[in-house]
Amino acid sequence: MTADEIRAHIDPMRHEFAEERSLVLPALKFAQTEKGYLSTEDLRAVAEAVHLTPAYVESVASFYDRLYLEPVGRRVVSVCVTLSCMLRGSDEVMEHLCHREGLGHHGGTSEDGVITVQEAQCLGYCDAAPCIQVDADQTRGPFTVEQAGELLDELRDAPVPTRYVR
Amino acid sequence: MPQLNLVYRQREAGDHLRDLSDYRRAGGYEALRTAVTTMEPDEVTYSLVRSGLRGRGGAGFPAGRKASFLPKDAALPSYVVCNADESEPGTFKDREIMEDNPFQLLEGIAIAGYAIGAKRGYIYIRGEYEHQALVLDDALRAARQAGFLGRDIFGTGFTFDITLYRGAGAYICGEETALLESLEGKRGQPRLKPPFPAVAGLYASPTLINNVETLSAIPPIVERGADWYAGIGGAEKSPGTKIFSVSGHVMRPGNYEIVLHQTTLRELVYDMAGGFRPGHDFKACWVGGSSVPVIGAESLDTPLDYESLNGVGTFLGSAGCIVMDDSGCIVRACLRLAHFYNHESCGKCSPCREGTSWLEKILQRMVDGDGRMEDLDLLEGLFGRISGRTLCALADGAVMPVRSAIALFRDDFVRVIENGSPRPEPMMEVAVHG
Amino acid sequence: MADYAPVDLSAGDQVEFELNGVRVSVPAGTLLVDAANAHGVEVPVFCYEPRLGPPVGACRMCLVEVEGMRGLQTACSTPVQPDMVVRTNSPVAKDAQDGVLELLLANHPLDCPVCDKGGECPLQDRTFRFGPGRSRFVEPKRHFPKPLDLSPRVALDRERCIACYRCVRFSQDVAEDGCLTMQERGALSEITTLTGEPYEGRFTGNIIDICPVGALTSIPYRFVSRPWDIDNTPSVCGGCAAGCNVELTVREGHIMRVTGRPDPNWEVEEGWICDRARWSYDADRAPSRLTAPVIREGERVQQPDLDAAVDAAALVLANTGRVGVLIGPDATVEEAFAATELAHTGLGGAPVQALTIDGAGLAPLRALPTAQLGDLDHAQTLLIVGGDPANQQPAVELRARKARRRGAHVITVGPRPHALESLGESHRSQPGALRAALEGLGDVGEGSLAICWDEADLAQEPDAAAVLARIGREREAISLEMGHGANAAGLRALGIPSTGLREQIAAGEIDCLLTVHADPTAAPGAAEWGWALGRVRHIVAVATHDDQVTERATVVLPAATHRETEGVMVAMNGRAQRLRAGATPPEGAAPGWELLIALGHRLGTPPPYRTAATAFAAASAAHAALGALTHDDLGTLGRPLPQTPVAGNGHVPDPVGFSGDGLPLVTVTRIFGERASHRSQALAEARTGADITLHPDEAARHGLPAGARVRLRTAHGECELPLVIDPDQPQGAALVATGVPDAGVERLLPADRTPVRVEITPA
Ligand SMILES: Cc1cc2nc3c(=O)[nH]c(=O)nc-3n(C[C@H](O)[C@H](O)[C@H](O)COP(=O)(O)O)c2cc1C
Ligand code: SF4
Ligand code: FES
Repeated sequence: MTADEIRAHIDPMRHEFAEERSLVLPALKFAQTEKGYLSTEDLRAVAEAVHLTPAYVESVASFYDRLYLEPVGRRVVSVCVTLSCMLRGSDEVMEHLCHREGLGHHGGTSEDGVITVQEAQCLGYCDAAPCIQVDADQTRGPFTVEQAGELLDELRDAPVPTRYVR
Repeated sequence: MPQLNLVYRQREAGDHLRDLSDYRRAGGYEALRTAVTTMEPDEVTYSLVRSGLRGRGGAGFPAGRKASFLPKDAALPSYVVCNADESEPGTFKDREIMEDNPFQLLEGIAIAGYAIGAKRGYIYIRGEYEHQALVLDDALRAARQAGFLGRDIFGTGFTFDITLYRGAGAYICGEETALLESLEGKRGQPRLKPPFPAVAGLYASPTLINNVETLSAIPPIVERGADWYAGIGGAEKSPGTKIFSVSGHVMRPGNYEIVLHQTTLRELVYDMAGGFRPGHDFKACWVGGSSVPVIGAESLDTPLDYESLNGVGTFLGSAGCIVMDDSGCIVRACLRLAHFYNHESCGKCSPCREGTSWLEKILQRMVDGDGRMEDLDLLEGLFGRISGRTLCALADGAVMPVRSAIALFRDDFVRVIENGSPRPEPMMEVAVHG
Repeated sequence: MADYAPVDLSAGDQVEFELNGVRVSVPAGTLLVDAANAHGVEVPVFCYEPRLGPPVGACRMCLVEVEGMRGLQTACSTPVQPDMVVRTNSPVAKDAQDGVLELLLANHPLDCPVCDKGGECPLQDRTFRFGPGRSRFVEPKRHFPKPLDLSPRVALDRERCIACYRCVRFSQDVAEDGCLTMQERGALSEITTLTGEPYEGRFTGNIIDICPVGALTSIPYRFVSRPWDIDNTPSVCGGCAAGCNVELTVREGHIMRVTGRPDPNWEVEEGWICDRARWSYDADRAPSRLTAPVIREGERVQQPDLDAAVDAAALVLANTGRVGVLIGPDATVEEAFAATELAHTGLGGAPVQALTIDGAGLAPLRALPTAQLGDLDHAQTLLIVGGDPANQQPAVELRARKARRRGAHVITVGPRPHALESLGESHRSQPGALRAALEGLGDVGEGSLAICWDEADLAQEPDAAAVLARIGREREAISLEMGHGANAAGLRALGIPSTGLREQIAAGEIDCLLTVHADPTAAPGAAEWGWALGRVRHIVAVATHDDQVTERATVVLPAATHRETEGVMVAMNGRAQRLRAGATPPEGAAPGWELLIALGHRLGTPPPYRTAATAFAAASAAHAALGALTHDDLGTLGRPLPQTPVAGNGHVPDPVGFSGDGLPLVTVTRIFGERASHRSQALAEARTGADITLHPDEAARHGLPAGARVRLRTAHGECELPLVIDPDQPQGAALVATGVPDAGVERLLPADRTPVRVEITPA
């Protein structure tokens, strides 16, 4: 994404913050909607738009789980593995999905690049344990192992998102 | 909130109040009108002090007192910040408030803003709550359009607006100073205190930070009076109602608004949350989120309020009540929590960064069958070297659940060290929502 | 490394408190760590570093018990309160210190025997004194591929890092380059730059000094020595006029390393030094270093021993008619004094000139009260006029940034873009129009004012100097001259003129030239000087490196560099400080003052001093400007010379106009684009060359594409340079990089350093 596009997104909210630095997270999140992750060029563009160094921007981005500095799949499937979900079978769900997609224990991206499966820490849907979040906006549960597998099939068939909200 | 709608308004049908018109019909925004048209800012603060409302984010600090700490004549502008980072394991009450009753939160923030003389508030919402953020986006738009935010609210000259700020996945950003750092565009790492946010918070300005649930409780308090609220429940230092998020091995996980002190843990777990599967019964529970000492069946009859829970060695915390039945393995549960804190430690202070990572390694070794008896002493030594010595309370939160588990369920640890720990069958029936 | 801030126990406003059972007092507001240190109690720290800004309380090493406060307190962030009862050595406090060390060591590789920091490592040290006897950590340690080069000069070993954040805070909050950061979080935290980029900057090496473990080490120093076979000597950098104090690490007579002082000079550099100061020491052993004397007779070149060479030099000087003495701005006070004495006695009143800026128009500015660099900390407004301190006197950059962080309003006025323009309000002046820019400022900020002004720029514009001095007087400002030449101020104190000799040579009045650390072909007026050198029959050169002068000299006497000699240099703001001989000069070389004294003996006028100290005492007795100071008076931190203000009459002289045709020439200098960096191997990758920079429109007007080689011509000389096009550069000026050895740019400039225009054509 270019610095100009990022500026166009953040300029209307500049007045809401006493310091420009506050715009770095909104800028990073917005830049990520384009490809679903942040390339070094994106980091540079953000840095330019908010007048910080690219190294600083990268350091901020790397702090947060939901900003990706490496390419990830078209859809990111986060399986909550924290205590409430664990008690309800999240490990079984996670193992099943990883096995199904041919991934290692802690997840990864499927060979076709469509699905990234990752462990998540408590997603705040413990009442729906075990829960799964697709990208950042749809969280559902409870899932059985089979239902979780079906979810991946649905995602594979779904249209490519126009923007990625991770 | 299925059980009680005393403080957190619901439409009659118990459905959500996402439309401003519904919220208005349910009495919404009358409190803000009352505050800005009939009360001095200090009166609002005083009313909060008298209500006895305590912070619902975890620490339980009296909300009115906190607001009264803000300097009256500061050179810099003041801010209200709503902590909507809700990432404490087992806690999902703020989610439901924001999703179903966003305006009550916005109204509460505006009243708090009026009380401390702020012109702007921020809601810092965890990045994973994108759905709730969209609901709030809509609500903010509607409130602005209706004149409940913006210039000259109720024609009084009170000007106030709210910015919704999305996090990006970091539990530590729920810690108030880390939240401020994140909101300032930095890595979300806690600051040294003092100075406290009330004196030097966001942009070094006086800042009032409260949890979603705390702020949402303000409109009814203003509307119905501090005395009304203070009278709910009857515990002197724990008045009012509180939402408990119940999860884990219960039949009806969910949010339950209870009257503090009048409900026991047993009632919450068995009557409200539906108890356990046939053949299983209560084993342990982290009643205030995962960062509190675990308690066992002997504590089931404890009334749910701040003091009574302290009395049985735990905390009310964020009231994210994680319940485990006798099918669970306490060591595995501890390992899972240790993993959480290790993953979420911000890494700024050494005892937490190194300690949480060491803690996880030791517990992992135990679960893998390579535990040693001396590990129990080692763990106790390690706990002593972490707790109370870190910059923020995350590390204490990592220590407490495990330290208490070893104390309470030592036999289970010994058994795991001796025999390893086979993974128990999870409870995988689809939960019944109620 | 400055682990603790200095505490003034005699200052007023003291508060009493109890420290480990003893009642002591410190100034109100002192942090507990510093207070304890001032009273001889060490509270161990890792993250605390008083120079890095407010404490962060991250490492938790400094936990102490304070009666009445819940839990333990970080002494680094707790100010002393009256009657506080503090225990730093109680069982609980000791357990906390021991505990933090145990945790820090859990993942530390403990590879001390192969670590460059071994023996001088705070972690090792504190583990010994405060730490665990044993580690109970049996898990596999954190593993990183090792080590990583952060730059060609700094290596990072991530396994050794204890995440104290000192280096990151230096980059973010002191150098403010924002390039070194912590990435990831928790146990995965690591120090890094933007992926794939080196840590480049002007001050990067300071992170090595402040790292309390062996995570950051100097690549040129890697595996060079061990702490037990080195000696450390406090000295002065001598690389520019700022006068930063440094420490020389020496083994067997060779410089192994230059670092900031562990006990900083708070008035000057505060222990921060630029990368040129840190890494250019290997210039002393560059191929161009003169290691043996040379005598040239026609085509014959001999390399006699030093004694014979001095004899030969004396013969040449005694027998070649009229002698002139030219002294370079890096010569020490002792060298310059011995040379002038020699001129007056042994050489029968030979004329002497220093290769320094003629500061006739600067008198009113020099009459303002002189600031120490440390005084900038307290300024409410900082006015920086001309120059480019980041490249020319780098210490000023850090002080200006610090002043800004402390709330000072920074105003820059000058003809060239530079790094400090972004600190506040910046006014770019048209070439030759500094006065107008200053007059256009209106109110110059608020409160106490400190003026930093560039010697070269204001000497060129005496009208601006007069106006600036008036602002200074009206505002009761303090003044910091950003001077040029490591000891130019010392030469001024000795009363050595900056003009005259070249004109005398040109007039055929000089037959023989004695040069002392002076190569006029590398200074403005290079072309005229080149021609003048051709007019003298003999040159006797006292010099450290091969240059245009030594190549023509009849006798070359190799001299010690400023790392190899005792002596005094006077920094730009009149601070006299001592150089100490860390290293020994090569076999065939000797300190310049020794050579000059020897010449005095050979010429029958033996001076009454034999050492640098007695030479300085004699100089100081003869020149009131040196304040009757002695080497002993100067100690390790030096002393400001007394100021002898010349009352000005407020007269504003006429501007000195530009001569010639074409675009006004504005000189620029780059920190690694000068002699020492070009001689240094360690700085090879950082080095920059000479070029001309134009605004794109200006380049278009001249029909020049980027990267083209262009020919530059003034009334004085010409040269060829590559063209850089940069939209951030001003229009209506040609920015030309000076100071680069052998680039010939100095040929464009007149010896009197008056402003010129330059004609630019494709080469
Ligand atoms: C590690 C850590 C995480 C926290 N997370 C949250 C959180 O997600 N939401 C919250 O409201 N408070 C959280 N807190 C508590 C806040 O620091 C703070 O006490 C609270 O926002 C104050 O609001 P209250 O007084 O209304 O409770 C956390 C504290 C710690 C130490
Ligand atoms: S206790 Fe943990 S999370 Fe809190 S500041 Fe220290 S390292 Fe960060
Ligand atoms: S020195 Fe105090 S916490 Fe590091």
